[in-house]
Order: sequence, then C-alpha cells, then structure tokens
Amino acid sequence: MIEQQYDDGKLHYAFYSGCCFQGTDARFFDILNQVFDKVDVKLHLIPDAICCGAGVIEERSELTSLAINARNMVGAEKMGLPFYTPCSTCFNVISNVQKRLAEDTKLFDQVNEILAKDGVEYKGNGKLTHTLWMLAQDVGLEKLGQRVTNPLNGLRVASYYGCHTRNPGDIQNYESSDNPTSLEDILKVLGVQIIDYDSSDNCCGYHINWPNKDLSLKMTSSVLQGAQKQKVDLMVTSCPLCFKNLDGVQENALAATKQDFQLPVLFLPELVGLACGMSAEDMKLDYHSVPVQVRL
Amino acid sequence: MTEKITPKREKLLANIRIQRFTPTFDRSPYFDNFKVDVETGMTVLEVLRQIKNTQDSSLTFRAFCRSAICGSCTVRVNGNSVLACSTQLMPIIKDFGKGTVTIKPMANLPVIRDLVVDIDPIIEKLAKMHPYLMENRQRIPETLEQESLMSQEELEAFNSLTDCILCGACFSACSSVKADKNYAGPLTIAKAYRFSIDPRDNFRCVRIQASMDQGLWSCVQCRKCIKVCPKDIRPADAIRNMRRIAIDDGIHDTAGSRRAKAYTDDVEKFGQVNKPMLPVIVNGTKGWTAIEAAEAYLESKGIEPTRQVCTLPGQDSAAKIYAEVRKIETQDKEKKDCD
Repeated sequence: MIEQQYDDGKLHYAFYSGCCFQGTDARFFDILNQVFDKVDVKLHLIPDAICCGAGVIEERSELTSLAINARNMVGAEKMGLPFYTPCSTCFNVISNVQKRLAEDTKLFDQVNEILAKDGVEYKGNGKLTHTLWMLAQDVGLEKLGQRVTNPLNGLRVASYYGCHTRNPGDIQNYESSDNPTSLEDILKVLGVQIIDYDSSDNCCGYHINWPNKDLSLKMTSSVLQGAQKQKVDLMVTSCPLCFKNLDGVQENALAATKQDFQLPVLFLPELVGLACGMSAEDMKLDYHSVPVQVRL
Repeated sequence: MTEKITPKREKLLANIRIQRFTPTFDRSPYFDNFKVDVETGMTVLEVLRQIKNTQDSSLTFRAFCRSAICGSCTVRVNGNSVLACSTQLMPIIKDFGKGTVTIKPMANLPVIRDLVVDIDPIIEKLAKMHPYLMENRQRIPETLEQESLMSQEELEAFNSLTDCILCGACFSACSSVKADKNYAGPLTIAKAYRFSIDPRDNFRCVRIQASMDQGLWSCVQCRKCIKVCPKDIRPADAIRNMRRIAIDDGIHDTAGSRRAKAYTDDVEKFGQVNKPMLPVIVNGTKGWTAIEAAEAYLESKGIEPTRQVCTLPGQDSAAKIYAEVRKIETQDKEKKDCD
C-alpha cells in the first residue's frame, strides 16, 4: 500500500463521500475541503463509488453488500491511497466487510469472482480511516494545535461519537472502543471545555427513522436531554448522520417528548474550521436547523 | 521463552465502586466504595467474591459456573455489559486510566438487590418466540434408528447462534430496549432466527410473526450487542437475517421491508438510494407531506430542492455486481431446492 505518492508535504486520502456529502448536502463536501486544507490534508474523490447500503442492503442480500463495498475499497486501492470516509455508518459497514473478507478466504475468492465481471480485483490490504483518527493520529494533535488561531476557550461542549465508530470494537484498531478519547482529544486542542453527560453513549436513533419514527424521536430526544441537563453551549458529533438527526430532527424530537429547549449541534469539521480561523459563513452555519447563536 | 508468554505480574490498589440497592428498603440506588488489591489476571467475579468474603457479606450478586457458560454473572463494568467471571479487571483499569472502577447491575431490567436483576422480562419475551424445534415432518426419518441429519452447510448457517448462553449482556446494552421496554431485544430475535433456519423446524412463519409483534424493525443496528456478546454470536446480524427471511417469506408491507427493498433496488439502478423520494417509497402517499416539508426547509435556506435522485458514478459497476450476485443466489437456491 503506497500511502504517499505525492511530494507536497500533505496527507492524501481517497475520499468516499457516502450520501451525506452530495446533492442538497453538497455544502459539507466544500466545508471538509476547506477545513482539511488548513491542516494540509488533500482529499481525492473515489471516482466510481457506490452507496454502501448503510447495512440495509444486508437485509436483502449479504453477498451484494460484501461485493459492492469491496468494490468501493478497490476505488482507493487503485488510487494507492488510504480510504477515508467522514461517515461513521459508511465506515462501520465497509470496515466490517474488510474484516469479513479477511477472515473468510472462500468469501474473499467469491467476491473477487463477482468483481472480475467489473474488471477489477479486491486486494484487501488497504487502510481505512475516519475523521476522528485522521485528525487525532495522522495529522496529529500537535499540528492541529498549531493551526488553531481562534481557540474556543470556555465553550462548554458535549462530545458525541454516535455508535458506528465504537461498535463493535473490532471494526477499528485505532483506539479503545470501551473508552475512546479521540474526539475529546481533538476538542481539547480546539480549546473547548468538555462536559460529561449521562446520555453520551445513547444511540440517536437515526437508523430507525423510517421503520419506527416514534422510537427514533424518543432516542434523539434522550441524547439531547442528557446534554441539556449539563447546561452545555453546544453538542459536537463526529458522525454526519447523527448530526443530521440531532440538528435537523431536533425540533420534532423535542416536541414529541414535550421538551422545550434548543441545543445547537455542530459536525466536528465545522468546529475545527471555526477554531482554525474560518468564519460562521465559511462553515455555512446558517444552514443548521437549530440556530448556532453561541459565542464562537 | 517462559518470560515471553507469562504476563508480568502486577498489583495495584483499586477503588471498586459498586451500586447498592434493595428496592424494599432503599429509596434509591447508591454507591459503596471498596479498596481492593487487584492483581494481574483477577476477574471481576474474583474481586466481587473477595469483597463479599472480607469486607461486606451483604453484597449481593449472581454467579455460578465461573466458566462463561451459565450466563448468570452479567454486570456492567464502567458502563460495559460483561460476564464477571470471564472479564479481567486489570486491563479495564489500564484502559480507563483511573484507579476507580464502577460496577452496576445490568441495565434495562428491574433490580432485585445490588447486582442481581430480575431476568423474567427477557424470559417472557423469549417464550413468545417459540425457542424450540417444531418438527418438520419432511425431515423425520422413516425408522426410529435413523437420525434427522443435516449437512455441514445447513449447520453452519446457525451454528454460532447455538452458543448463546442467555447471559443478557446484549439486552442490557440494547439501545432500542432502553427506549422501548416492549421491544424484544437482541437475544430473543437471534434465538428466533436460529430455530427458524434449522432445516428440522417447521415453525418459521410463526416466529416471523412473533418477531414482528415484538418489534423486529425497531432494532436501530447500533451494533452494541455485537460488541458486548461474550460468545460472539453477533445478534444484530441475526436480526438483519431475520428481517431478510421475513421479507423472503412475503412480508413486504411494512415500512422496514419497503426501506430494505428501496435501498437494495435503488443502489442497483442509481448506484445510490433515491433519498428525495424515500418518504413516499417507504410510507406511501402520506410521505408527500414529509417531502413537501423538506423542500420548504431547503428553500428557506436558499437551497434548490430536487426530486431527482443523485446518482453515483459507480452505478455501472453496481449493475454488473448485482447481475452476478443474482446469478449466484439463483444457482444456490436451485441447488438447495434440489437437495
């Protein structure tokens, strides 16, 4: 695996966008590029990506999910770059596929027979990463700290990983899944004060938004309520789907559970951008459903 | 050589913080702290026994086999559901970097006393799943001397699920049970799936109904159950599989089945899920309200709404992969039907 074929001192990644960074959400792609430029990271879009299926395709055909996601990893293998996705669910699904195929040679061969019809071969030796570990380990906290020009001192922040970079533990070997610290490590470098709250390990309910809306709203509300009790200024999440849910569905979730408050939620790269001197306009914070009216 | 494989013996004084509660006596749960010399290799259960034997004989917990097979000693250690008998304390102390370890009873179940919970809610939910074989008459041998044999391949489809020891770690960790006490929980659906795909069984349709009655599509796939399962049976995967056989057997008219069908078919056609139209695809005509609300929101933010699916460039590859997978799955099915 060639991790660096560019000689420009930057870190280069094959970028798997998932569904959160295109269409009406395309602004997030611009935000990522702007923010990562500040820390000398360059993203190269995987040209022939397929939706990972979010684990839902496995409810119809596991083999389809294995094959399309092996195909997605081939995209990065062909570019000779580490596979990076900012979406926790994409990371979870694709990392699980990589693990399954590494453990089962019969399945590995079968998937490669399928991919041969598309004229490609899956090697399975690529590195997969997510924003958390790209920033905390590849870029490094020291370098990130050097790029912070607008430390967000005094801001009371609830950190929220979401489920899919934590569970199960064997989808990543970057840090402990029982006691992850990458998100807090990054946030500390940005200068914020991290506030403990008891719903930090609750699931936000995004993935049952369709099959069981009422339950999903209840779960979304429980995460927000726990943070609100600690009087935080805002919540920051490393998962774009959790962000879409906790921000975009917040009003409905709190109304359904008879709660009356607003808690601004930020997607981690947005807060990194702000700390690195970018403006609320650059980070397009006015696109949020819940107004971000805190001192930044 | 010996030095390499023998772990370094360490010892440190830890503060074990244990939740205490006797519902008939205490108003609410509280914590007691016990100082214990924790040595390399000591399990959570050994620490609990030591506290009971030397510091507080009233400390109440459940344990029996000490071999990770009876499934009775599940507790939460620093929030994670584990078997006390097969979990060592030293790595946890090191992982969390703190001298204090918090031990609580399993979540999502009523506490009887201290670390002992009432597991009847799990048993009641499990009982509704018919967790036993109902004979498939086609597989009953003609003579008493013969056994009902199955192929290695048939066994492999559910073999790992037979390792479940009903310890309840997954139930304790389950996000959906936490939010909805009526939801079946991971282990009960996993058990329903285990019997439903056993070739000697003939009760699959009844179990599909029982699973749906208890919230088959309420599982949020947070994957916590996979993480905590001490037997690695992967309950969340079994739930996906149960959904699959439900759809295969004709359960097409639920929001969950329609979502699964939409995701699978859309990725073949567009390389991507048809997100703008998903509300109508999943929820029928009442989904138009959600689409219109989403469009109004986008317009208020100056983003032009679209009902056009956003295709991904891999759609040609997706179509080829789907065609090949379909061929393989059809061949597998034909082979199975012949057998």
